[in-house]
Amino acid sequence: MKIRFTLNGKEILVEADEETRLLDLLREDLHHTGTKEGCGEGECGACTVLIDGRAVNSCLVLAPQVDGKELLTIEGLARLSQPVSLSSADQGDKCRLHPIQRAFVEKGAVQCGFCTPGFIMSTYALLLKNPNPTDEQILAALEGNLCRCTGYLKILEAVRYAAELMRGNI
Amino acid sequence: MDEHYIKIGSVEKLLQSLQDPGAVILCGGTDLVVKMRQGLLSAKTLLDISDLDQLREIRQERGCIEIGAAVTFSQIIEEAIIGEQIPILAMGLRKLGSTQIRNRGTIGGNLVNASPAADSAIPLLLLDAEVIIADPTGERRVQLEDFLCGPGKTILKQGEFLSGIRVPIPDPEFLPFFHKVGRRKALTIAIASLGALLRMKDGVMDEIRVAAGSVAPVPLRLHRVETMLVGRRLTPQLIKQAQKIVPQCISPMTDLRATADYRYQVISDLLARLLLTVPN
Repeated sequence: MKIRFTLNGKEILVEADEETRLLDLLREDLHHTGTKEGCGEGECGACTVLIDGRAVNSCLVLAPQVDGKELLTIEGLARLSQPVSLSSADQGDKCRLHPIQRAFVEKGAVQCGFCTPGFIMSTYALLLKNPNPTDEQILAALEGNLCRCTGYLKILEAVRYAAELMRGNI
Repeated sequence: MDEHYIKIGSVEKLLQSLQDPGAVILCGGTDLVVKMRQGLLSAKTLLDISDLDQLREIRQERGCIEIGAAVTFSQIIEEAIIGEQIPILAMGLRKLGSTQIRNRGTIGGNLVNASPAADSAIPLLLLDAEVIIADPTGERRVQLEDFLCGPGKTILKQGEFLSGIRVPIPDPEFLPFFHKVGRRKALTIAIASLGALLRMKDGVMDEIRVAAGSVAPVPLRLHRVETMLVGRRLTPQLIKQAQKIVPQCISPMTDLRATADYRYQVISDLLARLLLTVPN
């Protein structure tokens, strides 16, 4: 069936089987492979994307359900932002990172990186609504995302830092 | 060719589409999509009600709050009148799933799914909530307690659907209690849970409602415990007596998550914790 929706600010029209998951539509059909599949049943959050501004597990949404909706994936988040220079290496335009992505890199909140897009999307959904969250609010917003490498402390630090960056305090 | 997926735009269309016995209602998909992928469920037609506005409203009317079946948990938690008038509901739902699950999962879906561990059922049972069942001839209301029949089973018949929940606004003096035991805080299916609404008057238990989850085929009220506590002073002896009645009210089983013995113990301990924390 035909599905029309806005993906990262661009209106698109795709043809997909009715039982296709949004996750597969994004990865297989649209080649947006930044969104990852972890558990495939809503436990790990690696496939987190935003639908109409809310974080959801794209493995639990059927593609036709996003008809008429606005979707944001990790690819769109990078595009939302201005090119920045990382403190470690200035790679010019190649480094078009959102402040949240920059914070995750600078605070060492990324190890294997598989969970990172999901964490960053959950963080973005939180900071959209609450630009100055407490640690408790950060942990609650990230409770649906699992990381098996970092032990979460670096991630917590990165989110605090991202919030400051986005509020323009740094 | 018949359509396999239909986005439902009106209650009339939903009732008409439900005449097909192979039709299954899809909303948030947090349970359904997983079951479909595991091959536990196959639907001839999926009726997607997630954009059906008539079922997505929270309304207050004459002493009650009506919540449409397709309202998400996040919507309920964020709704000011819920926090003000029925805080126990927001309290229970914050423990359900994760942010992502609460943003998609719906109150109607949680009840129709009829898990013995359904988190939303505990506060709703405490609130004496009724479910609203619609069929082509109209609507009827049934106590939630009578709606749930067993794991995955409700009284819903073919051609009917759950359109909403009607919650009587409780006395603001009720103290809420909700405790869920699991391996972790988020995304956990309760090993056991206990909730209560209670009101003390002159040092005596004036009214109490207690409900438990994951300890019987359905989430349920512990009526015998309630009856023995009403009108009594909360002494250590009384609390022990109340704990002794717990096994008569529940029938837990041993499964992947815990043993039946553990569940008896946990519910008994949670009841003691609840009663010991009540300010006199």
